[in-house]
Amino acid sequence: MRREISHPTSKCLGINATDGSSCPACDLLLASCLANFFSSSSHVCGHGRRQRRMKVTLVSRSGREVIKGGIELADEATVNDLQEAIHARIKKYYPSRQRLTLPFLAGSKGKPTVLIPKNKLADYCDGNTNNLTVVFKDLGVQVSYSTLFFWEYLGPLIIYPICYYFPVYKYFGYEGERVVYPVQTYALYYWCFHYFKRIMETFFIHRFSHATSPLSNVFRNCAYYWTFGTYIAYHVNHPLYTPVSDLQMKIGFTFGLICQISNLYCHLILRNLRSPSGNGGYQIPGGFLFNIVTCANYTTEIYQWLGFNIATQTIAGYVFLVVATLIMTNWALAKHRRLKKLFDGKEGRPRYPRRWVILPPFI
Amino acid sequence: MAVEDVDGIYAHFGGSSAHLIKLHQCAHLASPPPFSIRIPSPSSMAGFLYALRRIYLSLYNWTVFIGWFQVLYFAVKALREGGPTTVYDAVEKPLQLAQTAAVLEILHGIVGLVRSPVSATLPQIGSRLFLVWGILWSIPETRTHVLVSSLVISWSITEIIRYSFFGMKEALGFAPSWLLWLRYSTFLLLYPTGITSEVGLIYVALPFIKASEKYCIRMPNKWNFTFDYFYASIIALAIYVPGMFLVLLIIQVNKDCLPNCFNHISSGSPHMYGYMLGQRKKALSKSKTA
Repeated sequence: MRREISHPTSKCLGINATDGSSCPACDLLLASCLANFFSSSSHVCGHGRRQRRMKVTLVSRSGREVIKGGIELADEATVNDLQEAIHARIKKYYPSRQRLTLPFLAGSKGKPTVLIPKNKLADYCDGNTNNLTVVFKDLGVQVSYSTLFFWEYLGPLIIYPICYYFPVYKYFGYEGERVVYPVQTYALYYWCFHYFKRIMETFFIHRFSHATSPLSNVFRNCAYYWTFGTYIAYHVNHPLYTPVSDLQMKIGFTFGLICQISNLYCHLILRNLRSPSGNGGYQIPGGFLFNIVTCANYTTEIYQWLGFNIATQTIAGYVFLVVATLIMTNWALAKHRRLKKLFDGKEGRPRYPRRWVILPPFI
Repeated sequence: MAVEDVDGIYAHFGGSSAHLIKLHQCAHLASPPPFSIRIPSPSSMAGFLYALRRIYLSLYNWTVFIGWFQVLYFAVKALREGGPTTVYDAVEKPLQLAQTAAVLEILHGIVGLVRSPVSATLPQIGSRLFLVWGILWSIPETRTHVLVSSLVISWSITEIIRYSFFGMKEALGFAPSWLLWLRYSTFLLLYPTGITSEVGLIYVALPFIKASEKYCIRMPNKWNFTFDYFYASIIALAIYVPGMFLVLLIIQVNKDCLPNCFNHISSGSPHMYGYMLGQRKKALSKSKTA
């Protein structure tokens, strides 16, 4: 009796079986496909031709077998099929949680080769063997980048207005009416516009090279943004706040606003570098400030915080600026290095042009 | 600073000395080759620098060792003669000198003289300096507390063992197995006593900090900056236990320095305590089988 089973990657027409035997050709469908066969050599899978098997041995970094006996897949299976097979076997390891690499030889240089989902497994086998050993690492619970960014930006967006509008300073011993300076009000608008813009960019503009991020990053990043947000909001909205001159305020906010808009434009340029299919490939950025600076988006971000600090003048704000600059410089150096390595001018690839990394004229 | 790994220095002087690294992996080896034979064959300049580094680090470790030895000696003497309230006055100078000298260790790490992660040593030395200068020196009312005695004794014993260990490694090329045993065993008692004393003294100091308003910067001011020493101390207290946990995490990342790095830590969270127990088992069984 034949029973067709619908399965996300179904290549096999499932046949009712009672002995729980496995399909040697498409082990991939074990969890949801009941197979029987007339003889192991004549079993035929969905697309109607006999398939050679690809046997994948899955080990952890310590050498232990993650899935006993390995996984058998079709000859033409892709890494993505392998990921689905692992997920089918071990429910909690959804594909974005898996990190699959080729075994890394101790003593050899560089990093282990990461398996790319859309590639065929056969591409990673050397020679004619149909056996492949893949090293598995569990990346832990994953959340989408949108989720991560949303929560980390939400904190500052809520905490700052609370310090501005509500009498929180009463709890620190500052009773009585509070005089609000114009700069404090403009700072509120500027700050909220900044984080609102960030959230909008997260949902509508950014294209991420990785779909997900570890859950622990949510806590780490939220601690960073929320703590600094509170630290700055407390000082700028303080009852004893001392404003700067009107001119300085205007210069600060205007400069900051120009940088914010430039930053938005940079993000739009970066978005158009990546195709919607989301394979996260790298291109040489160009246009606008990218012609001179690799990470012009970080540059504009740093300068817009500088604008904010010029206008509000708090040590808290400047500390945040320094820390943020250090973090972004780290990222920028890595990105610059990656692009230079990728676009080395050999084999027909373009050569990455000479550019500042993040902050001309320093680096 | 106490050298984290004598082996590490060979890496500075070219691959030809790589084979010599193996020799020094085990501190318990009975008789290492004499000093002169261990200088590898790369350029004489490198050899000269290597010797210089070794002399400097030997001097550093043994000098600070003497400092901490003094602390322990004066502390015990004061305890017997005058009781716990007189301990601080007896040890103040050598304590301040020996502990502040540890700042050099951060420098050594940054410059690359020793292979230790600055990210792990910085919070450690930071907390020590906070206690010595920020609490004991700044808030005199804490000086007569009994916790000062336990603090000073816990610290001094740990440091004596640590600095003599690294002092021997630098000067002689090896350290005796009994010292290794001490290093990995005394922490069992000294971690808990050390951290209890540190946390306790900060807590004891709190009301005096609040009353004295020391190190506080108030608003309004041109830079809209505030600093309240009282709240900062409370925050320090709050991050103490998870902070030690975080240092452990950082050290985990820098695995190759692991056993050595732990000796920066005179206080630790329960988690780190457990970790050290494991390390101890590993280290002592290793020396047994060799």
